[in-house]
Amino acid sequence: MHIIGVYNIKGGVGKTATAVNLSYLAARQGYRTLIWDLDPQAAATFYFRIQPKVKKSKKLLAGKIDLDDVVKATDFDNLDMLPADFSYRNMDLRLEDAKKPTKQLLKLLRPLSRAYDYVFLDCPPSISLVSENIFRAAEGLLLPLIPTTLSLRTYQQLLDFLQGHRITGLELMPFFSMVDRRKRMHLDIMQNFPDAHGELLKAQIPYASDVEKMGIHRMPVQAFSPNCFAASAYQALWMDVQGRLG
Amino acid sequence: MAQHPVTYILPDELELEGLKKILSESNRLSEDGPVKVRQTYFDSYDWRVWQADGELFQEQGEDKRLCWVERRTHRQLTCQSSDSAPGFAETVPQGQLKERLAPVLEMRVLLPLVHVNQQRNSLRILDFEEKTVARVVLQKNQFSAVKGKNRGDLEGRILLLPLKGYESEFEKLKRQLASLKLRQSEKSLYEDALQGIGRKPGDYSSKLNFRLDPDAPAHVTARQIMLSLLDTLEANIEGTRANLDSEFLHDLRVATRRTRSAMSQIKGVFDPRQLEPFKQGFGWIGQITGETRDLDVYLLNYADYRASLPRAIQDDLEPFHSFLLEHHKTAQAELVKKINSPHFRKTLKSWRSWLEAPAASGDQTPNAMQPTARLADRRISKLYKRVLKDGSNIGADTPAELLHELRKDCKKLRYMMEFFQSLYPKPAIRRLIKALKVILDNLGEFQDLEVQAKSLEDFGAQMLREGAPASALMAMGILVGQLLQRQQQARAEFVELFSAFSSESNQQAFKQLFGAA
Repeated sequence: MHIIGVYNIKGGVGKTATAVNLSYLAARQGYRTLIWDLDPQAAATFYFRIQPKVKKSKKLLAGKIDLDDVVKATDFDNLDMLPADFSYRNMDLRLEDAKKPTKQLLKLLRPLSRAYDYVFLDCPPSISLVSENIFRAAEGLLLPLIPTTLSLRTYQQLLDFLQGHRITGLELMPFFSMVDRRKRMHLDIMQNFPDAHGELLKAQIPYASDVEKMGIHRMPVQAFSPNCFAASAYQALWMDVQGRLG
Repeated sequence: MAQHPVTYILPDELELEGLKKILSESNRLSEDGPVKVRQTYFDSYDWRVWQADGELFQEQGEDKRLCWVERRTHRQLTCQSSDSAPGFAETVPQGQLKERLAPVLEMRVLLPLVHVNQQRNSLRILDFEEKTVARVVLQKNQFSAVKGKNRGDLEGRILLLPLKGYESEFEKLKRQLASLKLRQSEKSLYEDALQGIGRKPGDYSSKLNFRLDPDAPAHVTARQIMLSLLDTLEANIEGTRANLDSEFLHDLRVATRRTRSAMSQIKGVFDPRQLEPFKQGFGWIGQITGETRDLDVYLLNYADYRASLPRAIQDDLEPFHSFLLEHHKTAQAELVKKINSPHFRKTLKSWRSWLEAPAASGDQTPNAMQPTARLADRRISKLYKRVLKDGSNIGADTPAELLHELRKDCKKLRYMMEFFQSLYPKPAIRRLIKALKVILDNLGEFQDLEVQAKSLEDFGAQMLREGAPASALMAMGILVGQLLQRQQQARAEFVELFSAFSSESNQQAFKQLFGAA
């Protein structure tokens, strides 16, 4: 089971769209896939038309019921979802109460390893105990970066955090997201950033209205517009990720 | 509890519109389709996917997918896109499906068995967010044979598909349809389609599974056994000729060996003078198939051979692989020539007509009229005693030939126990066959590894003459050393294994089942 976190300290960078579209692509390829919406804003859950409510979410985080009992099938073959729950906003507090607070998520996910080939974690922005849990559970971390100075700064913050907390062995996979080729700054940054960051994935996700339309259609972009530019961009990104994780 | 799909037979009077009307009374519905797809079902010749509780099909619609359905629950366990027709497990792309298939298929190839052309309409039951909470699929199906023109209609089906996390919606759907008094289908679509082309899952197996009458005269039973072996042999000719996979030839050879064993071990039942030409005929079949089988074995072992070498010299073995492939090609061509020869055909044909000829009363031979059970008891006891005596005499210094002899006798004993197993309580005889198999495996290892080591030396000499590089021969030299070492290990284990086999409790069990001869 490959666990992939999709994360950025900053919100509004195309994180949820990435988790939704890549999980859809993995499932369509035949992999049994689970997407866990950990963000209390519940955007991924909304995209799949699922009710953002988890029965007994407190018990779930306390490990008293299995994740499998609260999983919902999406409308797509092979793709299941753990919906978001508003109570996740307090997840930090609950994690703090647990023993080994940084490894709770991994513990919850472990029993699912036979049932799923890929698990995507749509993570809440900000650095918290929840994100540290994600860093420790995931094999790879997908990081959408808008090619702006501010966005790059948050990437550096993350690197510092990982180093400071001795989190190693996590495959970092930053990629450019919401790219607008008409903007000078985007082009400049995209030219210079790779020199210092060999870990950057090649694929780029454009700023595209098709991605925004996911909110109208409430489904992955490939499902309603399989031939659009954004759909091929996510396809390329998914190929890159598979190549990186082997 | 996980819910499973439910399948009903579509009654003639119910059409899509009717169903929609019933469902829309209390549900939001959305309709997809109609979609036309063609499914091709695959399995190995000996039904390994089926035996592993699976059904495997490739579906061609908008894209091509290969799916494994769990037979018991009708759940699709894995589905993955696949462009080419599946063959050997190693050609299936990495992933869930391959992990499932590889240990089941081993060396066997997947063959297309039957096509189903399907038109389906899907109704989705939606909740107020327009999220699908259950699916209803209407199927109209037609089967068609992979070869030839056999085709026809199958019963239509209604499938109710649950979605995880929406259990109560599924139960509600089932209740709504209860008023229609639909009949659940007993057979899967696959079984229906197979029936259409006159096949049944599991209609071939290389395993011996005779149902014998203990009171039938021995000559009748012997013919029954031999005829069934002949059926197995003949069933494997086509696949051997086409070299679809190596098991066809293997099964053909096993049937040959068993036939020869039956001829010699079911003693005093037929006139030996009449059997003689057939003994020779089957001896010949064993001979002409030997070389191809040997090369098959080396090719099947090749990956293990390679992996057993230090990584740095694994590539050095490649010329040996090419050598095997090339010689296999020649041997196979030679084998096909022999199989196509009048002599081969005549041997089998005359054997069949001899077996099927109205049984002569058989009073010329001492055991022909004996009840089957008595003959089986006697022969098995006798062979067992011989095995016990010869095996117990083997020590550390016994020459290899005596172990080879013992192996032959053990094989005879095993075949006899397998031929007649239906006459004995199942668990008891199974247990003893299993115990015997442990000894046979050990003896087989001892002999086969020696033969392999010797052949590798011969191949090496031949490759040298054909100009193979020294590095290949040196890699093969390492292999020979490893094989002989493993052979010695097998030899060292024999005494202990045999003493377990000849334990007092096993002896008692043999005595109880087969009596004292």
